[in-house]
Amino acid sequence: MGKAFDPSLIVDFIPTLIYYLGVTLQILAASVLLGMVIGIAAAILRVFRIPVLNQFVILYISFIRGTPILIQLFLVFYGLPAILLFINIDISRMDALYFVIITYALSNGAHFAEIFRGAIKAVDYGQTEAAYSVGMNNSQSFFRIVLPQAIRIAFPNIANSIIGSLKDTSLAFTIGVMDMMGRGETLIAATAHALEVYLSLAVIYYAVVLLFEKIFRLYENRINRHQSVDVSVTG
Amino acid sequence: MIYLKDIKKSFNQQPVLKGINLKIGKGEVVTILGPSGSGKTTLLRCLNFLEKPEEGIVQVGDIQVKSKKATKREILSLRRQSAMVFQHYNLFAHKTVLENVMEGLIVTKKYKKAEAKRESELLLEKVGLGDKHNYFPSQLSGGQQQRVGIARALALNPEVILFDEPTSALDPELVGEVLSVIKAIAQEGITMVIVTHEMSFAKEISDRVLFMDGGVIVEEGSPLEIFNAPKEDRTRQFLNRISRDFSVSFLEERAN
Amino acid sequence: MTIDILFIWTAFKEIIRALPITLILTIFPLLAGFIIGLAVALIRIYKVKFLSGIANGYVSFFRGTPIIMHIMLIYFGFPLLIDQISKKFDLGIQSNSIPIILFVLTALSLSAGAYLSEIFRSGIISVSNGQMEAAYSVGMNSFQAMTRIVLPQAIAQSIPNFTNIFIGFLHTSSIAFIVSQKEMTGAANIVASTNLKFLESFIAAGLIYWGLTIIAEGLSFLIEKKATAYNRGGVQ
Repeated sequence: MGKAFDPSLIVDFIPTLIYYLGVTLQILAASVLLGMVIGIAAAILRVFRIPVLNQFVILYISFIRGTPILIQLFLVFYGLPAILLFINIDISRMDALYFVIITYALSNGAHFAEIFRGAIKAVDYGQTEAAYSVGMNNSQSFFRIVLPQAIRIAFPNIANSIIGSLKDTSLAFTIGVMDMMGRGETLIAATAHALEVYLSLAVIYYAVVLLFEKIFRLYENRINRHQSVDVSVTG
Repeated sequence: MIYLKDIKKSFNQQPVLKGINLKIGKGEVVTILGPSGSGKTTLLRCLNFLEKPEEGIVQVGDIQVKSKKATKREILSLRRQSAMVFQHYNLFAHKTVLENVMEGLIVTKKYKKAEAKRESELLLEKVGLGDKHNYFPSQLSGGQQQRVGIARALALNPEVILFDEPTSALDPELVGEVLSVIKAIAQEGITMVIVTHEMSFAKEISDRVLFMDGGVIVEEGSPLEIFNAPKEDRTRQFLNRISRDFSVSFLEERAN
Repeated sequence: MTIDILFIWTAFKEIIRALPITLILTIFPLLAGFIIGLAVALIRIYKVKFLSGIANGYVSFFRGTPIIMHIMLIYFGFPLLIDQISKKFDLGIQSNSIPIILFVLTALSLSAGAYLSEIFRSGIISVSNGQMEAAYSVGMNSFQAMTRIVLPQAIAQSIPNFTNIFIGFLHTSSIAFIVSQKEMTGAANIVASTNLKFLESFIAAGLIYWGLTIIAEGLSFLIEKKATAYNRGGVQ
């Protein structure tokens, strides 16, 4: 089975693994930013029901939400080169990292789109009416009045989605990306202390998630500071 | 048969009940009046320990509970002595009207389903909802829901029925139907404690009226005494304020 | 490189034979998780001394770490634990004679329990206090009030969340492939490697998962409609 369990290794492994945390966070940052762009665009297409594109977005979102992230990784990994070969672009030598970022960007984009769509719909229609009544046109009222409020409403769900995406990045190593998990696998191959490596990784992920949650909570309080507080009626 | 001794209760360090002593006899209808924040609802909710007093003794019927040492079992026994009609009805949302009335009978009084059904049907008939057995609360008006709430309380045949502002959440035109049901029950000799803002109603059905303010019972007496000849200034001020609103709406009604 | 559409169908037929295992990997953890989750939620809501600290830690950890970690930790950790206990109490159980699927199911059950407990907790809290008070006022004790009045409503209102978790764990079952547990993604990989038709195989797998998800969402919609009919209002 391997050598005896050695708890001190858990601590020893942490520096080696943390070094690659940067790669994990890079993947997360890139895929979240791209995902935001995709998500807002898709949400707008859905909310305003632009013909044809609306149906396409519905299918896209349905597919992303209907398939495991692992399958999506494999599909992009094997499919993107095939598709691009049709237009004579050869990316078979591209670093696995980009495949991963594209996959997670598409995945995040779909989730963000649904969140933004819900948030946009949640903005009271009276806001739009007020915008029209002061003379704004459609796109002004949307971008200046509705969207900013929608972003505030969407924030908690977006935050949860980002944390979920962080956890999803733990699967990137399956297509050969050298991130934290990838380094963990090489460590296991070298030392045969699988349990200790995974415990280190779990500790690191847990710590990062807690940190993210804390940061999001602080940010949420900040952007909500102008909201009125409901006064509860004492019985 | 209801006995309160030295009831004290605070919320967040603020005293809400500052030592209440009260005796209510069997068959009495007692109304509690007072401005908001006076503690009247809190007092009512101490009778079935939905609010736990910090000090004092609560006795309903044969069950006496000392607040400081109240055990779960004692509280449960105490609660089974009374039944409450809530301001927001609190009907069991996922059960039909009939099931709502039957629920207490089956679970607490251990009735068999068929018996419970029979009893409940009679009670619903009594409150004027004999044709709504299979409706869900969400399909009824506020007045109808409250009448189901009253039937639910009646079903338990409790020592006392507690009414927590039963019509405060109702649209004005629905208030009357609920008040007439409560009036009918009062005439049957059931012990009732009512917290309400409906002054003329209170005048009509009460055997005794309590006026509360700032966590104490300021004055108590018969409706005639309280409404026509209040002894305390605070009582007078409160009644004047209420009757000003009352006479304005009275005049509006006359004008229409 | 062209896509062999016909092969997608061949792969489809091959992969779907692993559907039963995928369903076991989905449904069993959810059932176990239902019980764990309900217990944990109640412990947290009622702030049971000592236990609620553990419960909070459990939920926080399992929701704060990737599911693959749970699988790996249990897959590598439990055998060591079992061997230790077996030696100490002379039980004679060999960890490598235990089928992989039990470790996977354990990990997924613990994971599901944490997520489901959050759903129960928010569902129970969302049922208004008035319902509980009314239950008390007709003489019910806490247990009766919870099981007869609050939980039925909490569960009915949480159906969309339950569905999301179901779909989530349907997808999560694919991770078991990494520890060589047979299920659909693993089957897809085998078909792909044997025939060197990776894209087609994974397209087939994707379509199967997609189809299952859509069916699950449809069923959930119908169930929710029925379960929350009491809230719809209107006249019958």
